Amino acid sequence: MMDGQREINFLVVDDFSTMRRIVKNLLHELGYANVTEADDGNTALPLLKGGNFDFLITDWNMPGMPGLDLLKQVRADSRLAKLPVLMLTAEAKREQIVEAAQAGVSGYVIKPFTAAILKDKIEKILSAQAAAA
Amino acid sequence: MSDGLQDIDVYAGAVAAMARALSDGDERAFRVALSTFDTVRDGEVLTGIRKVAVDLQSALQRFEIDSRLIGLAQREVPDARRRLAHVMKLTADAAHQTMDLVEQCSPLAAHTLHEAERLLVAPATSALPAALAADFSAYLRRTAADMTAVRAQLAEVRLAQGYQDLTGQIIRSVMELVDELERALGELVRLAHYGDAVKTEQTGTRGLHGPVVPGIEHGDAVGGQQDVDALLSDLGM
Repeated sequence: MMDGQREINFLVVDDFSTMRRIVKNLLHELGYANVTEADDGNTALPLLKGGNFDFLITDWNMPGMPGLDLLKQVRADSRLAKLPVLMLTAEAKREQIVEAAQAGVSGYVIKPFTAAILKDKIEKILSAQAAAA
Repeated sequence: MSDGLQDIDVYAGAVAAMARALSDGDERAFRVALSTFDTVRDGEVLTGIRKVAVDLQSALQRFEIDSRLIGLAQREVPDARRRLAHVMKLTADAAHQTMDLVEQCSPLAAHTLHEAERLLVAPATSALPAALAADFSAYLRRTAADMTAVRAQLAEVRLAQGYQDLTGQIIRSVMELVDELERALGELVRLAHYGDAVKTEQTGTRGLHGPVVPGIEHGDAVGGQQDVDALLSDLGM
């Protein structure tokens, strides 16, 4: 369980505390102990810029700064441009998924989701990142 | 006006007839003329009463509509928003409480599973009579299997609390709608009372956000995670 990959620092961004808690607990069960929470893009961005995060999981529809804007800001920042970003959202319209893909999202999971789907997407993104490195 | 002039002519005719009847000493003719006079006068009074009644009814109806609008704008719509906010709080509290309980139960199940597995591999049953040892081993195996299932189900219970996020997003979008309704009603009341110019402030685009709700048009939404994966694959991801 506790290999090097599990030392990854996650930032989970969602305006609903219940969803942050669910994702955080799932990550803990997958062996990822380092999880920080933020409730929208405005609070997440300074954390990302100031912290040492390896993986961003963000909701889309949030008051303040929505997840898509956060993704664009992340991709526009040279130090964060390659950060894996998984969109975890109820937004299920094709045009939105295409928009997120065009903005550089690394993975897209629609709510409600299962633990297996979340695990699968995280591991695929990490594998792709490792292969690209 | 023509009715009024006709009435005056009838009055004049009746008065002239009464004057003639008086000078002729014809009581019957006098009473007939007087009756004509009274009939016209009663009709005027009835018309006036009818007009007052119509005006009163109109005023009452206007008052009822105004009162209803004011009530909606000032009480019921803001109340609706508060009720929805309360529902969001209740569901969030309930979801967190459920997760608290799950987190309290999970270690108990994990501990029981761990102990059952430990006793199964340990020579704990060697000191027991053979029949009892077999039962005890079966019990431990069953306990381990049950606790594994309980842990899995608890994990599902916790994941299911995601409903609060999904329903909360829907409620929040309805609350935004209620906000707009409140502003529109306030404007309507203001216009009804002061006749000011119509305010053409834009309420802004509300976007396409929120979970898919059955029965509500959402455009071209995907049917599930498989569709998402297929779409992203088509996009070369």
